Amino acid sequence: MTAKPSTRKPFLTYILPYLLVAPTLIFVLMFNVIPAIQTVHDSFYKPAVGLNAADKPPTFVGTQNYADLFDSSHYMGSRFLDTLSNTIVFTLATVFIGVPLGLLLAMLLNRKLGFMGLWRFAVFYPSLLPLIGAASIWAFIFSDSIGLANAVLRSIGLPGLNWLGDPNLVLMSVIIVNIWKQSGYFMIFFLAGLQNISKDIYEASSLDGATDYQQFFYLTLPLLRRTILFVLVISFTFAFQTVEQLQALGEGGPADSANLLLYLIFQNISERRSWGYVNAMSIILVGMLLIFTVTNFVFFERQEDN
Amino acid sequence: MRTLRVLLILMTLTVMTGALQAQDEIVIDFYFPSATANDSEGIFEAYAEQFQSENPGITINPVFSGSYTDTRTTVLTELQGGGAGPDVAVMLATDFYSFAEEGLIIPAQQFIDEMEDGEAFVADFFPALMMNSLDENGNIWSIPFQRSTPILYYNADMLAEAGYDAPPTNNAELIEMAQALTTDEVSGLLVPVAGGFPIWMYQSFAIAYGQNIVTDNPTEVLFNTPEAVEAAEFLTSLGTELGVGPVGGSAWGDTPTAFLAGQAAMIYHTTGNLTRILNDADFEVGVWYLPSGPAGEDGTGYGSPTGGGNLYIFDDGSKSPEELDAIWKWVTFLASAEVQSDWGATTGYIAARQSAWEIDPLASLVEEFPQYGIARDQLEFAQKEYTSYGAITIQGIINGTLESILTGEAEDAQAAMDEAQAQIDSILAEYQ
Repeated sequence: MTAKPSTRKPFLTYILPYLLVAPTLIFVLMFNVIPAIQTVHDSFYKPAVGLNAADKPPTFVGTQNYADLFDSSHYMGSRFLDTLSNTIVFTLATVFIGVPLGLLLAMLLNRKLGFMGLWRFAVFYPSLLPLIGAASIWAFIFSDSIGLANAVLRSIGLPGLNWLGDPNLVLMSVIIVNIWKQSGYFMIFFLAGLQNISKDIYEASSLDGATDYQQFFYLTLPLLRRTILFVLVISFTFAFQTVEQLQALGEGGPADSANLLLYLIFQNISERRSWGYVNAMSIILVGMLLIFTVTNFVFFERQEDN
Repeated sequence: MRTLRVLLILMTLTVMTGALQAQDEIVIDFYFPSATANDSEGIFEAYAEQFQSENPGITINPVFSGSYTDTRTTVLTELQGGGAGPDVAVMLATDFYSFAEEGLIIPAQQFIDEMEDGEAFVADFFPALMMNSLDENGNIWSIPFQRSTPILYYNADMLAEAGYDAPPTNNAELIEMAQALTTDEVSGLLVPVAGGFPIWMYQSFAIAYGQNIVTDNPTEVLFNTPEAVEAAEFLTSLGTELGVGPVGGSAWGDTPTAFLAGQAAMIYHTTGNLTRILNDADFEVGVWYLPSGPAGEDGTGYGSPTGGGNLYIFDDGSKSPEELDAIWKWVTFLASAEVQSDWGATTGYIAARQSAWEIDPLASLVEEFPQYGIARDQLEFAQKEYTSYGAITIQGIINGTLESILTGEAEDAQAAMDEAQAQIDSILAEYQ
C-alpha cells in the first residue's frame, strides 16, 4: 500500500523540469531555431518569378546565391559588396570611436563637479530619444540648404557641406549620428564599472608613486575588463543592427554609399525574386556577428588567463 | 453551481450574438498610406462614415499604413505570411506587377464588365492616369485614386524682379532663368533627386527628351537610349557646370521648405504639396508644366511622368460574392466624382475623374486658384510611370545608377547606364 505514491513521485519529479522549460523551449524553437534552419535552407534556392509565382516551387541552385553576392558585376552582388565594406567601416568606426568616447565621458563624469546630474543627463539623453526621431532631427541638421550644420559652417566663412548628398560624406554623417546616440549609453556602463572600483586601490597606488597615466593603464583598464567586453559586444551588435537611422538619413544612398547590410536586406524583402539573396545575406550577417563576438570573448578570456 | 450556469448561458449568448453580427455585417479593411502632410486619417474616417450611412451593413475599417513603401512591405509581409491583410488598399500605381506576381490582387476589370455604365465609368478617368492600371492585354487592375505628377513651382515675385513675366517653356529657358535667379542665398532651381528616389523626377527629363524609359511591355525597360543618357547628363549638369542647385540634387522633404523660405526660386515637386505650398507661401506662387526638355517644333519641351496611388482589390479566392460586392461599392465610392472632387480640393492630388472638376468644391477652387488646373492640364504631356516585372529590384538599380551619375561618382553616364541596362535585361530575361 505504501509503495504506490513512492513510484509516482519520482515520475513527476522527472517530468516537472521539462514541463517548466517547455514554454521557453517551444518559443525558442518556433521563433529562433526553426526560422534559422529555414533561412539556411532557403539560401540555396531561387524563387519562381512571373505571374502567380507564389504558386510555383523554388529551384535548388546550390551556392549560386552566395556566388552572385560576391560577383561585383551582378546586380545584387555589386550592391552587396559596397554595402559589406560600408558595414565593416561603419562598425569599426562606431566601436573604436564610440566606446573609448563613452569611457572618456564616464571618467570625466566620475569625479566631484557641480551640477553633476545635469552633465550626466546631458550626455545620456541622446540614448533616451527614439532612434527614428533623433535621426530625423539630424536629417534636418544635415540638410544642405536649410540645415543647422551648414548654417554654422557658413557663419564662420566656410563652405557648406552636402552631408547627406555627397557619396564621400554620407557614411561619415551616419557614423556621427550613431556615435552621438550611443556613447552616452556606453558611458552609463563604464560609470557603473568605475564606481565599483574601490577608491582604496587608487589611494594605495598613489602612495606608491603611480602616475595618473599608470593608474589608468594598470588599474582602471584591467579592472574594467568585464565592462569593456560587455560594451564591445553590444556596440558591435548594435552597429550591425543599424536600420532606423538609415531610413531617416537618406535611405543608405546616394547609390548605396551609406547602405548597411541589415538595411539592404530590409530593402529587398518585399520582392519574392530576391528572397534567395536575402536569406544568403542574412546567413553572412549572422556569420560576421558570430566571428566578431567570439573573437572578443577569446581575446578577453586569454587576457584573463594571463 | 448556479453562478456557473448563469455564466455559461451568458457566454453562449455572447458568442451567438457575435456570430449573428458577423453574418450581417461585412467589414472592409482599408489600408492607406500618406505621402503628404495632410490629415488623411481624419478625411478617410469622414468618408467611411458617409459611406456607412449610405450602405448599412457594411463597415469600413480605415488603417493608416505609413509611407507607400511601408504599405507595400506591410501588405506583402502580412499576406505572404498567411495573414488576412487588407481588402482594399491604396498603393503605388506602379506596384501592380509586384502584387500580380504574388497572385494577391484581382483585376478591377471583372467588376467593370458587370457595370451598366462600365465604359463611361472608365472613359471618365484621365487617360494618362489609366496607363499604369493596365496589364499588357489591356485589362484594368487598379482604379486611380490619389494621383499626382511633378510640376514646376516658381516664386513669381522673384521672377518678376529679374524681369521674367512668364515661366520657362523649355529647358534652355529653364537654365537661363535659373542662372539669372541664382545668388549666394538663393538656388535658381531645385530638383529633388537626392534621397533614394531620383527615378520619378528623372522620368520627366527622359520623357521630355523624347523617349520614356518604360513601354507597354512589362519585360522591356529602355535605360541606355541616347535620350535617356542625355536626360541624365542634363539633370547632372544642373548641380555641376550650371550650378543652379546642389550637386546630386536636393532632398525630397527639404525642397518645398527651402522654396517657402525664399531659398529657391523654382522647384520641381509633387502636386501633392500644392495645397500646403499655396497656404504657407508669403509670396505669389506660380505653377507650370515641367519644361525639362529641349524646345520642339512649337518651342516647348514639356514632359512628366504620372505618379501616386491607386485602389487595389485583394482576394485569394476565399471572398464571397457579397463581400466582393461591398468592396467594389467602397472602391467606386472613393472613385466617384463627388469624393474625387473633395479629395482633390483638400489635398491637392489630381482628381482622377474629369467630371470631378466640374463640380464643387473643386470647380470653385480652380476658379479661385488656377494653379490647381495647371496640374490637370499637364496630363496632356504626361506618360506612364516606370514599372515592370521585378520592379522593386530594377528600380533599385535605376535609382542607384542615377545617384552615382548625379553625384559625380560615375563620370561616364553612358557607361554606367549601359552596365545598368545589362543588369536590368538579365532580370527581365527571366520573364520572357
